[in-house]
Amino acid sequence: MTALLLWKQKIKEFYGEYDTWILPVLKFFLSLLLFTEINKTMGFMDRLNNTFVVLVLSLLCSVLPVNTMTVIGCLLILGHCYAVGIETAGFAFVLLLLLVILFLRFTSRDNVALVMTPLAFTLKLPAVVPISCGLLRGPACAVPAGCGVVLYTFMKLVKERAAVLQGTETEALQKLQILLDGMIKNQEMWLTIIVFAAVIIVVHLIRSSSFDYSWRIGIVTGAVVYVVLMVFGSMFMSISMELNAIIISGILSVLIGLVIEFFVLGVDYSRSEVTQFEDDEYVYYVKAVPKSMVSETKKSVKKFSPTTEHKKEVQEINEMPKTVDLSEAGQMEELDISDVAPVEHVSEEDFDFEKKLEESLKNL
Amino acid sequence: MLNEEKIKKMRKLAAYESGAGKEDLSISNYYRSDYIGLALIKNFFFTTIAYGLLVLVYFGCQGEYLMDNIHKMNLVSVGVKLVLLYVIMIIVYSIFTYIYCSVKFSRAQKRIETYYQELSQLKKMYDKEEKRMDRLTRRRKDA
Repeated sequence: MTALLLWKQKIKEFYGEYDTWILPVLKFFLSLLLFTEINKTMGFMDRLNNTFVVLVLSLLCSVLPVNTMTVIGCLLILGHCYAVGIETAGFAFVLLLLLVILFLRFTSRDNVALVMTPLAFTLKLPAVVPISCGLLRGPACAVPAGCGVVLYTFMKLVKERAAVLQGTETEALQKLQILLDGMIKNQEMWLTIIVFAAVIIVVHLIRSSSFDYSWRIGIVTGAVVYVVLMVFGSMFMSISMELNAIIISGILSVLIGLVIEFFVLGVDYSRSEVTQFEDDEYVYYVKAVPKSMVSETKKSVKKFSPTTEHKKEVQEINEMPKTVDLSEAGQMEELDISDVAPVEHVSEEDFDFEKKLEESLKNL
Repeated sequence: MLNEEKIKKMRKLAAYESGAGKEDLSISNYYRSDYIGLALIKNFFFTTIAYGLLVLVYFGCQGEYLMDNIHKMNLVSVGVKLVLLYVIMIIVYSIFTYIYCSVKFSRAQKRIETYYQELSQLKKMYDKEEKRMDRLTRRRKDA
């Protein structure tokens, strides 16, 4: 644990020193992952499904605010839908517009969750979204996360029905009907939205409590609630779901949640103190939990002044060619130390133990 | 010599101005009633657009059924239902917008108050420093 804390301290220091560069780089990689996954899931328009385009868009996102990622992600989805057909693009546009007008305009600060949810689904880690939203944000984050589930369902639907939607035999109205039915009658989508909202509220309620290990308990409870609700929900609503995938997603989300807790919170509950005091107006019940901090031990290197013989040796070493292996350098250092600290070597046979012992006893 | 306290305060204020402060400062330009009133007007237009889109999608998808059965339907009752739904939607969203904007406004006000307090503290620091510099220059002149 100490090593981990030391590592965290080093990362914090490193981030503090180079945050001007680290933040854009992280944003770049996140947007790269997001756009690549969108292209992998849909990928109907060849012009957009291009590494160069994705790289340029990611570069743009790295220097612009985080919400730009959301906007560009939605535009990419619209572009791919346009390649499928004008009806699909129109439906996608109306869907996004409705999501923005009805829900997302109230949660402008949490809208990254809108595009992070489809990303988590494609990475087979959907439970990570509600748990991290509950830990880092609040219950309001359930709105963009729910919208993200709608968006992912739409992306999946377009991919599954691409053949029908691209075909010329089907009429435009029928295509719209297919899309609408695919969305509204998709019970898995409604179940996931409800489960996401429940998990976000549960995790947030537990983690904002003052009892010990509230974050960890919140993470584990969130994962259990997710798995249980998904399993029972799919049983009652007779939806076919992969049980293994749900459980694995729950377990992995616990691990990711613990990593988030380690970096964001990092407190030592074993040293927590509870105190109570009062003034004229209030009685205060205070619980203070210290943060886990480890100070790095500084290594001190002592230098010994070399003897005249040693000086000569050092000179010889200095005259040697400079391309020396590190292993050789290590040996040289060892040589230095043995030379600098001279020890009087006496053979065991010549040494009189009894005499030495008598002398020491006399001194006593 | 550098005044560390002053630099810390300036950094804090600058970070606020370029972050959450941007929105707070724009909100503080309005009176509470004006801010909420404007948000309600915007909400009216947005909700109308959203309702229009929803109705369009619904009728678009039910187009075939409507074409076949429109002569059997009581159009007046359909119209009344549509208007009623629209009014309910507007009321619900207006209440929601009112609560949302009230909370947002009061929170922004609190943050702005602290910002102005710190700004006045910074001004005091500057005044103090200016006075000290004045005194020093006078002494030099006298000498």
